[in-house]
Amino acid sequence: MEQQSFHKITPRVIKVWQWSNSISYLFYFGIPIGYAAIFGLDQFHIWVALSLTLLVLIGWVLSIVWLPYKIWENWRYAINDKEIELKHGVFFKTQTLIPLSRVQHVDTRQGPLLRWYSLSQVTISTAATTHEIPGLDIVIANRVRRQISTYARLAEDDV
Amino acid sequence: MSDFQRQHPVAAISRALGLIRGNFITILVFLFVGARSENFPFLWWIGGGAGFLLIAGFANWWRFLYKVEDDTLHIKSGIFVRKDIYLTKDRIQVIDVTSGVLQRLFGLVRLDIQTAGSSSRQAAIDAITIEDARDISYLLRPDKNGSSAEGDLKDSAESDSEEESIKSIKLPLKELLIAASTSGSFGIALSLIATVFSQVEPLIGQSEMYEYLIGLIPSDADFILILAMIGAFVLFAWLISFFSTLFKYGNFQLEVKEDEIVVSRGIFEKKRITIPYNRIQAIHVAEGMIRQPLGYASLHLESAGYGDEKGSGSFVLFPLIGKGNIQSLLQEILPDYNRGVEGITPPVRSLRRYIFRSSVLVTLITGILFWVLSLNVWIWLLPLVSVFWGWIRFKDAAAGWDGDLFVIRSRFLSKSTAYIKKKRIQDFSLHQSFFQRYRGLCSIKMYVASGDQGKSFGVSDLELDDGYRALDEARKETAVKISDMDKSEIELKNRLIHLPGWV
Repeated sequence: MEQQSFHKITPRVIKVWQWSNSISYLFYFGIPIGYAAIFGLDQFHIWVALSLTLLVLIGWVLSIVWLPYKIWENWRYAINDKEIELKHGVFFKTQTLIPLSRVQHVDTRQGPLLRWYSLSQVTISTAATTHEIPGLDIVIANRVRRQISTYARLAEDDV
Repeated sequence: MSDFQRQHPVAAISRALGLIRGNFITILVFLFVGARSENFPFLWWIGGGAGFLLIAGFANWWRFLYKVEDDTLHIKSGIFVRKDIYLTKDRIQVIDVTSGVLQRLFGLVRLDIQTAGSSSRQAAIDAITIEDARDISYLLRPDKNGSSAEGDLKDSAESDSEEESIKSIKLPLKELLIAASTSGSFGIALSLIATVFSQVEPLIGQSEMYEYLIGLIPSDADFILILAMIGAFVLFAWLISFFSTLFKYGNFQLEVKEDEIVVSRGIFEKKRITIPYNRIQAIHVAEGMIRQPLGYASLHLESAGYGDEKGSGSFVLFPLIGKGNIQSLLQEILPDYNRGVEGITPPVRSLRRYIFRSSVLVTLITGILFWVLSLNVWIWLLPLVSVFWGWIRFKDAAAGWDGDLFVIRSRFLSKSTAYIKKKRIQDFSLHQSFFQRYRGLCSIKMYVASGDQGKSFGVSDLELDDGYRALDEARKETAVKISDMDKSEIELKNRLIHLPGWV
């Protein structure tokens, strides 16, 4: 069972997550703002609004200084000639097994942020589900993609 | 067949009707709005709409061409954007022949050639003659075992025996009636009525008729009136579901052929679904809430075709069958799947999680409603029911495997026992939430190809070791029976059960 050799993903992806989280989590500041807009800032409501702001602020900081590191730490992938195995998750840990004969296609994708850090994400699609390895160095990503498609071709089978 | 052909012109009308059906609510709203507008006569609206639809339908028909060549169905379609669809024989999952009322008037059928994924959805031929449909589906029939030399020899003999089926099983009238009266589409019908009502209500609400009706009702009868209204709604929904099931599954027939299963059903709209054995992704037996106590279940099949409009690839293999007969039916149609396996249930300590999960939301909502609206004490029966629901969900959860077969039994509302061939599992995953990790539990989930999204089968809160056992077995070529594995743990023995558990 443990003969699998698991790889970690490229650490630079942490930076990508920090950037994207720092921007996307700004959205949650809308909650206290919305609250203030609806209820005003009277004696009681100002405390609610302030504590909401504090909570969102803590969440925002954590999503930058803590969460990306934890996610990275927990990400593992392994590929051999029979299957792909992915392990990830901080609060919800998931381990997924994808038989290579079931792989329909493999993509590598890049957004602007990923490209800036010369990373790429590998997307693996089966007839039912889609999985992704979020951040791999471009060179490694291409190698992984080639590896999967080579193995998958060997294991050719119908749906 | 090697030249491009047009469909029968009736396709133009059925296309127009399809457009109406697809935008029914919008059209309804338009009609009501149109009826009110003073300066634009009502008839103009209807006439213009019908004219537009006919032109659209006609253009669609004119631009739709198909041919079969080299084992490939080639379809050209689209009015402005031309689309070329090529469906190869090797990739066809399900062949589906429907004849609606309109088509039957002209002796036509609709042919759906489904491949995996949704892209083949546009590849349906709306109206062709039965003979043409038969020819096409014969040309596109998957190879028998892929052997070409032998196939050629067999071909001549096969064309005669093509229509011959080895076995054919019909649904008895009594069971059809039971199926119709216990059908689960009841809830769907109810929500459908509610939707239509909410659309129409504001319009009726302003009419004088409504005022008049309200005036008739004595004001002190509010409570009884509400009860009666609910009762009427439920009865109406039940009638709708009764008749829709009756019409859908009337004339049901299951034919077992050498290398495919053919399901035909329907009274007004006849449907005939052909699925080759090697395209079956999984089968599952569903025992509905009402049907289970009566000892009945229905048999379903997952295919990688797109199935219905919702895009799920599952269809009914047999609408209603006594629990005792499931095994003999399976033995007749799919002996591969008729296997008892040993399964494991979740440990007793996960019962708490099952009950918590199914009752927490209900209890919370009931509590809030109880305080805010100061409701009757009887409302607290709801959380009690949800506790019971959690308990039966726990009781029915189990996972088992043997050789190339996985059996997953679980319950949401109806109890479902799924049989999945190991080579059909698209992915297998093991989840552990924060609290599950603390308790040493895990959930397993497997996906099979079914329609657009695939369908998942899983069991929650298994012992972590059992989860890893299942994961390891999914990895192997053939799984080892659970009882043949290490039995060192006495605890495991207590949780061993026999699946599927019917007598």
